[in-house]
Amino acid sequence: MSGGPMAIVKPEMKSYIWLQTADGSIQQVEQEVAMYCPVICREVAQNSTGSSKNNAVVLPERVNAAVLGLILDFCRFHQVTGRSNKERKIFDEKYIRLDTQKLCELASAADSLQLKPVVDLTSRALARVIEGKTPEEIRETFHLPDDLTEEEKLEPLRNMTDDPRIRLLNRLYAKKRKELNERKKLKNVEVEEQQRVDERSVDDLLSFINGGDGDSKGVRETKNKKKTRGRKEQARNNSPNNEAGNCNKESSCLASGCLNGDISDVSSPSRNSKLQNSASATFPSKLDFDDFDMDDELDPVMQEKIDREVEDFARRLNCDWPEILSLAPERRLGPISMNGNGSLKRCTAGVDRG
Amino acid sequence: MAYSFPEEVLEHVFSFLSSDKDRNSVSLVCKSWYEIERWCRRRIFVGNCYAVSPSLMIRRFPEVRSVELKGKPHFADFNLVPEGWGAYVHPWIVAMSRSYPWLEEIRLKRMVITDDSLELISKSFKNFKVLVLSSCDGFTTDGLASIAANCRNIRELDLGESEVEDLSGHWLSHFPDSCTSLVSLNLACLASEISFLALERLVARSPNLRTLRINRAVPLEKLPNLLRRASQLIEFGTGAYSADVRSDVFSNLTEAFSGCKQLKGLSGFWDVVPAYLPAIYPVCSRLTSLNLSYATSQNPDLGKLISQCHNLQRLWVLDYIEDIGLEELAANCKDLQELRVFPSDPFAPEPNATLTEQGLVAVSDGCPKLQSVLYFCRQMTNAALVTIARNRPNMIRFRLCIIEPRSPDYLTLGPLDAGFGAIVENCKELRRLSLSGLLTDRVFEYIGTHAKKLEMLSIAFAGDSDLGLHHVLSGCESLRKLEIRDCPFGDKALLANAAKLETMRSLWMSSCSVSFGACKLLAQKIPRLNVEVIDERGPPDTRPESCPVEKLYIYRTVAGPRFDTPGFVWTMDEDTAVRLS
Repeated sequence: MSGGPMAIVKPEMKSYIWLQTADGSIQQVEQEVAMYCPVICREVAQNSTGSSKNNAVVLPERVNAAVLGLILDFCRFHQVTGRSNKERKIFDEKYIRLDTQKLCELASAADSLQLKPVVDLTSRALARVIEGKTPEEIRETFHLPDDLTEEEKLEPLRNMTDDPRIRLLNRLYAKKRKELNERKKLKNVEVEEQQRVDERSVDDLLSFINGGDGDSKGVRETKNKKKTRGRKEQARNNSPNNEAGNCNKESSCLASGCLNGDISDVSSPSRNSKLQNSASATFPSKLDFDDFDMDDELDPVMQEKIDREVEDFARRLNCDWPEILSLAPERRLGPISMNGNGSLKRCTAGVDRG
Repeated sequence: MAYSFPEEVLEHVFSFLSSDKDRNSVSLVCKSWYEIERWCRRRIFVGNCYAVSPSLMIRRFPEVRSVELKGKPHFADFNLVPEGWGAYVHPWIVAMSRSYPWLEEIRLKRMVITDDSLELISKSFKNFKVLVLSSCDGFTTDGLASIAANCRNIRELDLGESEVEDLSGHWLSHFPDSCTSLVSLNLACLASEISFLALERLVARSPNLRTLRINRAVPLEKLPNLLRRASQLIEFGTGAYSADVRSDVFSNLTEAFSGCKQLKGLSGFWDVVPAYLPAIYPVCSRLTSLNLSYATSQNPDLGKLISQCHNLQRLWVLDYIEDIGLEELAANCKDLQELRVFPSDPFAPEPNATLTEQGLVAVSDGCPKLQSVLYFCRQMTNAALVTIARNRPNMIRFRLCIIEPRSPDYLTLGPLDAGFGAIVENCKELRRLSLSGLLTDRVFEYIGTHAKKLEMLSIAFAGDSDLGLHHVLSGCESLRKLEIRDCPFGDKALLANAAKLETMRSLWMSSCSVSFGACKLLAQKIPRLNVEVIDERGPPDTRPESCPVEKLYIYRTVAGPRFDTPGFVWTMDEDTAVRLS
């Protein structure tokens, strides 16, 4: 029959409706089953489609052949009137036992076909999949990007690791940045700063930093502190990934609180000072630094030099550099490439050059 | 979900996530989920009203229908927070009145709410349905009158344990005749008489009423009038349970109670006349919740009543129940989940009831589902605590209040460290713990080592040194609220664990040894904390920096220091240190 009126139903014959799925395949389905879907029902009733292969009901894009099969399974079962509630419930419980991917496809397809019972079933099932999971786990399950910025993340803070080496590093970076900014402000184009060599060993430094835990009275307002205070108004928390960053805040405060304001003299952290005292724009966490634009004009050569020095310093500290830096989340990667291992590059460049 | 998943379906999925935790996780997954989630979030819980500002909340969640706020620290219940400290809800109401026209529910705990706020609520939210005020104050019955008069669809009005200034009992008459939507009405905290006629009529025209708690002033004889008109009640709180003993009153009452076939919970029972207790026998077997914490009845009446409540899940009672009554409870109420035993006379020098550790041991032994305990008593032993711990590893909330501070194990005269240690070691799901009795730093070592799921800890008159506090702060991974009074904890532990404080909701320390200098330092170290020094002796900088502060309340916040601090509260900030040092 050509298009026009629907196929005439003869009592002894079943009548079929032709459906075309998004992938182009066309199939015929028992009428009473297909009509269980509101969208199909409407199409057939209003537009008289579905009566022949050439005039198949074109299903919405989200319905491919495979998921149509699932949908029709549901319709085929439930359109039978005699069934008890218990039977239907049992069917539903089995029906919904699908993997997450399938559940999503089914939910999506059912929604486009306006098949509410299936939307409800799949939605509940997906909610159960989500329940109890952490954001990371949810991301993994659903293959979603990790694209939230710090500002948008309001995660509760995790307990921090009190690694003194991290604290030291963070402090040193902070110092370097500060110095760079100050120099820039003076419009000083000098590339190399005079080295202030600190002869102390790392251990000495660490014990100096870690000594004195609350008895110090001297308060030195570092630039970092000012910045972090400005942060208060922003609904921002440290990402649990960003433990390095957390340590930074603590360390900058420790710096001011514990060291009786003498830290400015300990500008160059390393002993035999391969590290220049030029500020490092490269730092795992950007949380404490307000003006990310600050280092926009940083000379790439300088940047590389600094990064190398930092890497060297890290080696001298004998710490597991990639491990520590991998605590910082992957952020937008800066344009600066680096020698050194990949993780260093990722973290140091990622602070928006701030 | 590589391809586009329709937003409405995702919203629908989110609507089945009931816990705030899950919703929070969802919002942190990715940008698009964050956006979708914030637009469909309908219910917000703010555990500390100063942790976030109303504008922040409104900006992020524009379509909220239900808000729950908590204000003063828990120790306010013990009069440790001076009057006027804060927790004013008005700024929240004002902000929400502008931005949440469809707000339906407001639940407040330990906050100050004025008649103005109540009036604003009643006029701003056309679909307002639920008002719950737990332990709030600052308002009068006039405010209640506005709610009654203007909230056309009010479903729940629950005054909890609030302090209400009773200006007139006539506020009840302000419910219009057209108001028939009430589901829950709790007036138990009101001190003076309410218009009984208005109440009766209100009850009669509220076919959906499920919870009704009247106040003490409603006489016993009037109860049948109410119960007959509200036989569908599930929870009922009586008024004063006393009258001259008369058989007609008794039979009326019994009949009225019998008529309530769905009654599951009873409370009230002020001034109990024992002769009337049997009137509730017909409903005892259905009861799951019984609050006798105002009932001065004693054994054997009390025990006899309780032993008929075979389905009891929750019992709040005075120490008049004694060990004997608790043994009967243990024998008869196998479904018991929660037990609270309050002191009838905490200030009496000698015990006025034979309630000892044995009662609690008996209940822990006989009631396999017991998971929540609040127990005031005068003596305890390590052995008893160890037994309780071994009996009930499923304990979730354990609050033991031995009335006399620093009471030792009365048999060994030693500290109760081992007993509480057994509790935290055996009860791995323990979420809330209150300590009392003689305790050394040792108990904190146990707590830090074992209490990994502990969320709230209350400490009083315990410990020897900073090490105690250090164990708690460094060991209790799930700790959210810590409240301490009269303990020898000073600066060291606090400063060494400063970072921990940002992972908690709040820390309260009063009559401890934390110095002003340390408070300032703490505020500098961790910028997103509000470090409040509460000191009624005057400004802390008039005393040496090493001088301990009276009270200290530290809480994390994204809203910065608050602007409504009274004269005896100073919020430390990073500048303070510079200015004052």
